[in-house]
Amino acid sequence: MTGPALFPRLTPSNHRVTSPPTTDYNCIAWSAGDTDRWWEPGVYWPVAGESYGLEVLQAAFRSLGYEPCSGGVLEPGFEKVALYARDQFYTHAARQLPSGKWTSKLGRSEDIEHDTPDDVAGGVYGDVAGFMKRPVTSG
Amino acid sequence: MSVASSAQVPTAEMRNRFGRLSAEWKEQSRYLSNTAQMAMLKPYQRIIGMGWPAVPLILEELRREPDQWFWALEAITEENPVPADAAGHVRRSADAWLVWGRDRGLIT
Repeated sequence: MTGPALFPRLTPSNHRVTSPPTTDYNCIAWSAGDTDRWWEPGVYWPVAGESYGLEVLQAAFRSLGYEPCSGGVLEPGFEKVALYARDQFYTHAARQLPSGKWTSKLGRSEDIEHDTPDDVAGGVYGDVAGFMKRPVTSG
Repeated sequence: MSVASSAQVPTAEMRNRFGRLSAEWKEQSRYLSNTAQMAMLKPYQRIIGMGWPAVPLILEELRREPDQWFWALEAITEENPVPADAAGHVRRSADAWLVWGRDRGLIT
């Protein structure tokens, strides 16, 4: 599914494909729980701004109730996202599942479930640049 | 410059070039989600550099497979026919551009 240069840490045993490919939404939308839109600053984004760096991604999730946190360890009562950056661009966001594993939409390709945030880092997405969390709301 | 005077019928050479660049861009951007990062890739920049003759080719591609061609279309045409409530909806955005193209005789 993915080349070793693009995802050098993904292995057959640490991830599973969970959807067919689609251009309808991207990883940012997926992490925010939206499968109808491709989130893009200046086009569809929860806060104003047309930059494409990590700060605009952090601002987007902050507007959704997330605050920076120290890591991706599962914390009962909270949901977390991992944010990725490479060079001057934000590159990716992954969302923690209630199981403690993570889910990512890979560009216009598939959704996957992966064991740790680091599994999709080290290649095309660069490194994990930070984590954010918010309280889980009932209902 | 009006659409009528600036639009050109793409030659076979342009079609071939667009097809090659489009395939390269799709391959290189397959796992990307940041639209700016996708638009900075060389094949995409070269398609923008083709100017107005690329517009009908992009619209045909958009009809075949809705994708992130909106940056290029806006860059070339300096227009954005996508209604505000369709922003971010890839298929609705594609439909708006296809209507725009048909209205100007750029595609059938």
